[in-house]
Amino acid sequence: MSKPTSNWEKVGDRFYRKVQLYSDVFDQDLELENYKVVGAPYSGAVAIYRDEEKIHTYRGSQAAKSSIDIYSCAGKLIQRINWDKGSIKGLGWSEDEKLIVVTGDGTVRCYYELQGDFVPFSLGHGAEEHGVQSCRFWSSGFVALLGNNHLIAVSRYDEPRPQLLAKPPTDDVISWSIIPPAYSLSRSVEVVLAIGQTLYVVDATDAEDRDFTAGPFRHISVSPRGEFLAFYTEDGKVWVVSGDWSEKLSEYNSGAKTVPKDMQWCGSNAVALAWEDEVHLIGPKSVATKFYYDAWVHLLPDVDGLRLLTNDVCEYIQKVPAETEAVFRLGSESPAAALLEASTLLDQKSPKADDLIQMIRPSLAEAVDTCVKAAGHEYNIHWQKALLKAASFGKSVLDLYSSDDFVDMCETLRVLNAVRFYEIGLPLSYDQFKRLTPERLISRLLNRHEYLLALRISSYLHLPTSQIHVHWACRKVRLSSDDEESICRLIVKKLNGLPGISFEEIARAAYDEGRVRLATELLNYEPRAGKQVPLLLGMKEDNIALDKAIESGDTDLIHHVLLHMRKKLPLASFFRVINTRPVATALVEASAADQDRELLKDLYYQDDRRLDGSNLLVSEALSQKDNLPAALDKLRLASKYLQDSKEYTSQRQVLDETQRLLKLQEQFEKDLSAPGVEGTGTGPKFVGLSANETIFQLIREKHNKRAQKVQSEFKIPDKSYWWIRLRALVASRHWTELEELAKLKKSPIGWEPFFNEVLAAGNTRVASHFIPKCTSLTVRERVEMWTKCGLLVQAGEEAFKAKDRVLLEELRDRAGGSAAVELERMLGMLGRR
Amino acid sequence: MAPITPFNASDITEKARRDLLLLLEGIRGKKNLVLEKSLAGPLNLLVKFSTLQEYGVDKPFFLENDHVDSSQRNVVFLVRGEKAKTVSRVAAQIKRLRHNGQVEHEFYIFWVPRRTMVSDQLLEEAGVLGEANVSEWPLYFVPLADDVLSLELDDAVSDLYIRKDPTPIYLSAKALMLQQQKYGLFPRIIGKGDNAQRLADLLIRMRTEVTAGESNEGYGSSFLGLTPSSTIDSLIIIDREIDFSTVLLTQLTYEGLIDEVFNISANQTEVDSSVIGGTAQQPGQQGSASTSMKRKILIDPKDTLYSTLGDSNFAIVGNLLNKVARRLQSSTERNQLAAKTTAELREFVAKLPGYQAEQASLKLHTSLAEEIIKHTRTDVFTRSLEVQQNIMSGADPTTQHDSITELVSRNVPLETVLRLLCLESTTNAGVRPKDLETFKRAIILAYGPQHMLTLSALEKMSLLQPRGGSSLAGGIGGPAAKPGTVTNYSPLRRSLKLWDDEVNEADPNDISYVFSGYAPLSVRLVQSIIQKQTLASLLMKKPAGGLNQSASHASHMTQGLRLFEDSAKYIRGATVDETQIGEEKAVKARAMLNGSHNDGSKTVVVFFLGGVTRAEIAALRFVAQKLRERGGEGRGSRIVVAATGVVTGEGLVGASVEKASFGGDHVQ
Repeated sequence: MSKPTSNWEKVGDRFYRKVQLYSDVFDQDLELENYKVVGAPYSGAVAIYRDEEKIHTYRGSQAAKSSIDIYSCAGKLIQRINWDKGSIKGLGWSEDEKLIVVTGDGTVRCYYELQGDFVPFSLGHGAEEHGVQSCRFWSSGFVALLGNNHLIAVSRYDEPRPQLLAKPPTDDVISWSIIPPAYSLSRSVEVVLAIGQTLYVVDATDAEDRDFTAGPFRHISVSPRGEFLAFYTEDGKVWVVSGDWSEKLSEYNSGAKTVPKDMQWCGSNAVALAWEDEVHLIGPKSVATKFYYDAWVHLLPDVDGLRLLTNDVCEYIQKVPAETEAVFRLGSESPAAALLEASTLLDQKSPKADDLIQMIRPSLAEAVDTCVKAAGHEYNIHWQKALLKAASFGKSVLDLYSSDDFVDMCETLRVLNAVRFYEIGLPLSYDQFKRLTPERLISRLLNRHEYLLALRISSYLHLPTSQIHVHWACRKVRLSSDDEESICRLIVKKLNGLPGISFEEIARAAYDEGRVRLATELLNYEPRAGKQVPLLLGMKEDNIALDKAIESGDTDLIHHVLLHMRKKLPLASFFRVINTRPVATALVEASAADQDRELLKDLYYQDDRRLDGSNLLVSEALSQKDNLPAALDKLRLASKYLQDSKEYTSQRQVLDETQRLLKLQEQFEKDLSAPGVEGTGTGPKFVGLSANETIFQLIREKHNKRAQKVQSEFKIPDKSYWWIRLRALVASRHWTELEELAKLKKSPIGWEPFFNEVLAAGNTRVASHFIPKCTSLTVRERVEMWTKCGLLVQAGEEAFKAKDRVLLEELRDRAGGSAAVELERMLGMLGRR
Repeated sequence: MAPITPFNASDITEKARRDLLLLLEGIRGKKNLVLEKSLAGPLNLLVKFSTLQEYGVDKPFFLENDHVDSSQRNVVFLVRGEKAKTVSRVAAQIKRLRHNGQVEHEFYIFWVPRRTMVSDQLLEEAGVLGEANVSEWPLYFVPLADDVLSLELDDAVSDLYIRKDPTPIYLSAKALMLQQQKYGLFPRIIGKGDNAQRLADLLIRMRTEVTAGESNEGYGSSFLGLTPSSTIDSLIIIDREIDFSTVLLTQLTYEGLIDEVFNISANQTEVDSSVIGGTAQQPGQQGSASTSMKRKILIDPKDTLYSTLGDSNFAIVGNLLNKVARRLQSSTERNQLAAKTTAELREFVAKLPGYQAEQASLKLHTSLAEEIIKHTRTDVFTRSLEVQQNIMSGADPTTQHDSITELVSRNVPLETVLRLLCLESTTNAGVRPKDLETFKRAIILAYGPQHMLTLSALEKMSLLQPRGGSSLAGGIGGPAAKPGTVTNYSPLRRSLKLWDDEVNEADPNDISYVFSGYAPLSVRLVQSIIQKQTLASLLMKKPAGGLNQSASHASHMTQGLRLFEDSAKYIRGATVDETQIGEEKAVKARAMLNGSHNDGSKTVVVFFLGGVTRAEIAALRFVAQKLRERGGEGRGSRIVVAATGVVTGEGLVGASVEKASFGGDHVQ
């Protein structure tokens, strides 16, 4: 077994290791130097296409056909996308392994699931006229540079919204790069442009000149988390600047005459420069190490390292993880190293094992942890085992140790080793796996149609397997040549009853394939009504879609279906459809009331809902504002609407009365606004008042005759009439009339309200007129009334008449001045008798 | 492990806050915020305006006013996306800005609480979908207090009962489902009313749908999420429809009266500034959006003074205020005199801010209470209260007709009259058709012909309807037309003791204190589920009192067990009783994870579909407090009130009142 340190390189005071992941990657005939190569993040697939700017050997017409080829890291062809859609100006991956292809005319194609299917969208913002020059990608979006130096950012692919960033100067862009939104200070994407001698930083709102003079910068590279920026200057120097631009961290002179073809970060602490077959790795403090290759080498940066790809090998350069270094570094004195040593000694049945263990006893737990972690970072299965064995040994010596980490690591390693296998070709590092998450690893496996492995891993890691089944079924539906019945039977047999299965997705796949019957059949197994609706609409099964939408209870869905049907169907059939479905009818009514009254009218007519129809007309009459004739017309119509049915006679009566009232009011307005009245020519307004209010208004204006006419016309009860009269008189302060009223014998509402209302208006004098008339009240109450008017003497007389001594005494206590004397006198009189 | 508290108000607030700020953070630079008026209240509760400013909000605009300007490049719309009307409004404003501005705008739309397909469709038709960055702000529950969650759906009443639009039900189900996914299923769902049935069905449906699909869309602890919760006891759904009467009554708690008199929306009330006088530096005052005359006051459930006042019957609020005033006065004065040593002085000074805050709050509430007293002293108030009390205590409603007619003639606000009429109708299964016709006519004559629409809407809501069938001659309490179509109060009045003659407002011993006599049916129903024994013994208690508890205990038990089922027969609508059970293994796992909970500390969620009144909240708090004292009765003791919104009688009948009138807008 080779030593674990054999592939380590010292760069300054740190170690880097170059792990060979796969060999014999590509066909030797493939002229990799003539290809552009981009790799998906987290050791994902690699897409290559022939660089059109380079000449290449002619290999017959077949090979001349342009294509984008997607390979696994191990060189297995996953998909070939034939390309005849123009020149490719940008090729990149998203975090979830979507391949993004940007062509010169600003069209973006987003290939999902590593298949030939794509979703296109266009950049707009002048991309078509000026042409896309190049693109830079980050995990969930990209920025395109146009011919006129405009920058367009797209920050998501599910709903792309190309956004024009601030405009930089139009001089030639020498090189450029982006800082992903997650790591920029402004939390939105920032673009670093090298123009002339200086650098510009561009975001959505402004383009800022950073005032550099050391340019022109040939390459710009941003570290994976945006904490550092690296620049390659014209004179062969590499500058590293902190992400906030505050300080220059290091400068390295490559001494090279030719500009390297690529510069990338390796993790966050080293920069790699690549010439055709030479790679310089520059660590902090400007020390470098060099690697040489036989063939053209491509750099594929990843979050924690750098993949190198040549025809022969796929290698991975990363900083040696701290734990690994602690265990394996030559001469390491860390407890973990000792533990590993002890474990090997134990295998050799050497008693020294125990001595070693005793020596590191105090830090044994830490040593176990380190060994476990180091195992995770190890690619070599032999060393993984050795480290885990050491950890296990250490663990057995400890009294108390939680084995969770150890168990987790064993599981993880098993998964990692499985996917690293060359036939799968996903050489994930431990950190990448943690960041990718097992769920997304599963979906990557699905993209590669590794269903069995995905299932095994899912059940091994206790993950839901539904997605795998669905994916499998979709593929089955798409590709199987069996008859529909047996496909359906097969799928249902395998999937029915499993949790989380989306039959809708499978049905949709079937429908997209043109297998409509299969789709319908599969859809029946979908438990989520909401999910079925869009597909059913697509399949033109509108009525079923409506039923399903109603079943789901989601009004949005119901509205959606209804809108759809409303556009498609003639009115009569539309009504027929909703007629039997009360919820749908209610929703149509509710939205039509705001938006489409004509529809509502038709609906009521069709359904013979007379009262509703008439009410609708009334509310239209109400919205006529000052146009009285129009309002009257509507009312007449409303009344007519009801004329055939007996049950609405009272409603009709109201409608007819309303018309009479309105006409009457109009008349009043005309009569009373004759010039001379009120001087201004515009009399009081009546239209719109209620009958009572009309009377009120008339009495206020002293048109008593007219008021009485209204009363008799609308048969307003006497009681009400008196109340209105009272309120109107009080409101207009017609005290004399009130006093006149007080002379009457009887009032239908009694006299108490008169007292209360007048008193509330503040006229105690007039109010007191009514007190003696309130004969139905008790003495005490009347006394209280007098008191409220401030007439204590009269109150006293009231009490005196009733011979209520107690009351009188109370009054006396409250009174002062002459009233008190008078009250005292009364008391005396009472007392005498 | 710390016990998990389900339906935790601060968690919900925090999440909503974070979600919104994250959305705002995603937009670079300053932005103008356009929001729907009905969202202003909840927004203010969740996020301070200064925080919004920190996140780049420059100026807020109301969607309804349509006056957002081009002062900023970024325009953010924060609107509810359920109604086509609002969506079209957003589309129109985007178009307007696009056409008139020299600025090239970036539009962002945050739909609340979810992005709808209809909104997409409408925006697309208007040709603006391509230009707007659409995202959603999943704001469902807005916590109004620690134990009160509201969806703040202002239109819920008119949607549910006039237009029969089930959107609020769906949104409620969504909101409850989200909580279920977090804290586990409600082990039991009990409810009353047709809409409650719908809601329960939806919840069960959603459960299967969630199991069927969303598990891989990142709800986290999916496999635990859908097992019955060990911290929640049950969900009780009350459809407002079954008990309109409670809403129609005038609330008599302090908080309820503030709501009745000044209107509270999202814990804020607007009071004429003359009322609270020159107290310019009120701690709870929000000066930003108030007009010159009105002043906004925050009704803060965390204010110590208010927390004791809010749920008390208004009759004793004066005394309570007095007491506090005296305490404050004496403590400050004594301290000033006694402050001789520096240590004492320091202690006193340290307490000062507290005193000042309390004093300010005292001043505020004293002036509020005074204003309310002015209101309650009016003749109209006492008259209508008298009518209400008579109707609720079971008097023949026809005896009240004179009073109502008089109120009509006196032209008191229409809502007041309608409340009384509807109250009569709902408590007596309708109004005698002849009387109803008379009243209708009187109302139309008094308030204007446009109200024929109002009346017909009320009938649609089954708030005001003729008494059907045989009971025409039968007088009050006659059997309703069809069982299950109306709530029949007369048997319930007895079997649930809805009327309490010996109500004690100062030291309440029953929930009846919130209405000074009437015990709200909705809360009685809840009691019949979670507080069976107390309720049963209350019912058994002879007027004379002094009952031998232990002897009749057994009979209480047996009677108590069937209380809910028995009363449910007389209440309109369907009865819901569902148990949700999960796999045994998962249940055990959850129980282990959350630690064992004794039933006493479990949470009962009471959901009011169609709105809850503040008086009912007070009553439920009273129930919860009693449960805590006795350590629960086999069910949970923490009660969380959730609702589609907070309603008052005025709002309920107001939903149907026609606002337009003939001849333009010069009247009223």
